[in-house]
Amino acid sequence: MTDTPMLNEWYPVGILTQLTKAGRDTLLMGEAINVACDSLGAPVVSAEDGRTLPVRARYGHVWTSLGSPTKELFDIPEADQPGRRLVDVGVVRVKCSPLRAVENFLDIAHFPFVHTDILGAEPHTEVQRYEVQIREEVDEVWATKVKFYQPQAAKSAAGGITTDYMYRVPAPTVSILYKTCPPRPGEWDVITLFVQPMAEDLCQVWPWMALFDDQTPMTDLIHFQQMIFLQDRSILENQLPRLLPLDPGMEIPTRADMTSVAYRRWLKRHGFTYGAQLVAA
Amino acid sequence: MALSRDVPPQVVIPTFVDGRELAVWRSQSGRIAAWDDRCPHRGMRLSHGFVRGESLSCIYHGWSYNEAGLCQRIPAHPDLVPPEAIRVPTVAAVESDGIIWVASEPASQPPPTLTGLVALRSLTVEAPATAIATAAGMPIDQDGALRPDLAGIACVLLVQPIPGDRTVLHVLVASNASPAAQAAVSRALEDLRRRVESERLAA
Amino acid sequence: MILYDYILSPDCYKVRLLAALTGARITLRPVDFHPGGEHKTAPFLAMNPSGTIPIFEDDGLILTESSAILTYLAAKAGPAWLGDDTPAMRGRVAQWLAFSQRLSASIGKARVHDMLNKPADIQACRRAGTQCLREIEAALVEQRLAGHAFLAGDRPTIADIACFPHSMLAPDGGISVDPYPSIRLWTRSIRALPGFIEMPGIHRLHDLKPEPGPIPERV
Repeated sequence: MTDTPMLNEWYPVGILTQLTKAGRDTLLMGEAINVACDSLGAPVVSAEDGRTLPVRARYGHVWTSLGSPTKELFDIPEADQPGRRLVDVGVVRVKCSPLRAVENFLDIAHFPFVHTDILGAEPHTEVQRYEVQIREEVDEVWATKVKFYQPQAAKSAAGGITTDYMYRVPAPTVSILYKTCPPRPGEWDVITLFVQPMAEDLCQVWPWMALFDDQTPMTDLIHFQQMIFLQDRSILENQLPRLLPLDPGMEIPTRADMTSVAYRRWLKRHGFTYGAQLVAA
Repeated sequence: MALSRDVPPQVVIPTFVDGRELAVWRSQSGRIAAWDDRCPHRGMRLSHGFVRGESLSCIYHGWSYNEAGLCQRIPAHPDLVPPEAIRVPTVAAVESDGIIWVASEPASQPPPTLTGLVALRSLTVEAPATAIATAAGMPIDQDGALRPDLAGIACVLLVQPIPGDRTVLHVLVASNASPAAQAAVSRALEDLRRRVESERLAA
Repeated sequence: MILYDYILSPDCYKVRLLAALTGARITLRPVDFHPGGEHKTAPFLAMNPSGTIPIFEDDGLILTESSAILTYLAAKAGPAWLGDDTPAMRGRVAQWLAFSQRLSASIGKARVHDMLNKPADIQACRRAGTQCLREIEAALVEQRLAGHAFLAGDRPTIADIACFPHSMLAPDGGISVDPYPSIRLWTRSIRALPGFIEMPGIHRLHDLKPEPGPIPERV
């Protein structure tokens, strides 16, 4: 069944600097599309039936939609802030629900066990109380005042620090993380997870970053983020059920999962159910 | 469903009973347990988890469960006593003669006696049990076993059907078989599997 | 000693792992393999015309095959890892080093297909990968019957390092490792070695660490 609210959303389908005229075939919500560029280098996305799909070129990526977007692509003001390095991390395919990929990105309690000695380590496993809200005026999920002890929070971090985080969900398959910036106290590093839903249980993930870090070579930044995401991949491919359960009863949240609870509630409210299951199986 | 030797202390393995996915694990003190292969928190497979002492922990968030399947620790909230409602469904598991047996329903009878035998290995065949019985030239007996001679050695092949029309064979040989003879049986099993699978491919 | 390295490459990881296990000091030079394709650029092709990584450089010597790098690094930093106690053991080590190429060509290819969208005949790769895992499983059974816990003998050698990463990472390419109890125990004993390091997709053994504190008590 086609999910109309999600059909009208924007999705990442390619890296702007890697487009070719011949294009690349991929899938968006089960539909075959081709992502290419014209002779001037502008992105062109076409569907199998010949339709030309709407396109946006933003945050290093090509964005498109199978439907008629009612909203403009979300804004990340930090993307235009001078002094930031913009990092295209590259695509990773995962056999999981696109919504499970986003939910995992919103989770900090797994750091000591999945990103051991990098983003977390025993015995520093406690998740302090933080704040979560659905900001009605912008219709986004926000988690703020999140704190976690990290042995090596970023490529530029020398030792363990308590890192501050904020999370933002501006679209059903997009999550933006704001994180303590070791070289520039007072600023936030921006790390995003842009997810392309290929099918309800298959997605492509395009992480992207806007960092204040003049020191670390670009390749090291890319490897660090790929390492983190690939540690998550073996988790994401082994969750049951494959689809994200939106109704309570199937999974048991705790206080540390408040962001996930709000995300699921927000998805359900909007009918964003591509990759979700509504009734406990 | 597994050889005892393949599940030493602190090891967790995935398996099936009646199509249901299970995590079977052995505690540090040697206790064997069979649970649903799913953490109630976020649905992660517990067969990817880790064993400390007498408890099994999920690899995702480290939630740990005691021998009864009851959640006893949530690392994100170290001081919290988890509600008793957080538990993993368990099934009965017993060990006898070097084999681990599980039953999703209360078993009406104990597992068959397999004395005078030693467990050799388990191997998965991409074919249903009936195809293996045909290739072995004998029916599966009331113990769920085939009893062919392989490489001149009397063998017992315990048959475990698993989803996807596949079968796991848990193989025991006479306990007086030398290591070289056991290796010959292992090669004969590979040969049996090749025959069964190529016949299936041809059909 | 310089290793031109990619964090997600099992062949690069073999070298990092052996260096960690032997205490050898190597300098890592990250290569933008994905998405940049830096290994196919002129400076890298000048070092390695085949356009692959790892590339290993030491004192003018350049090696580009992971099995050759393992052999060189072991000879230099930990000769016991060469496993040349007897002609038979030496033969087995060489056998598995050569075999590891089949793992790269099957499981390795399936993995970059499923993960990074690289082209491959995925069904053929998975079939070949499954066949490789079955061969390792059968070999480990026979090694056990001979009283040996590792591929070439009673202690780990570069044969194990060469075959370990792909054997664990097969699920990344849609190849199950569930049917192989001997591979499970063998990979566990490698992960338990002192100095072991992980790579994404190969988690460390959390069970080697004690619980960090007492279990909260029910009152």
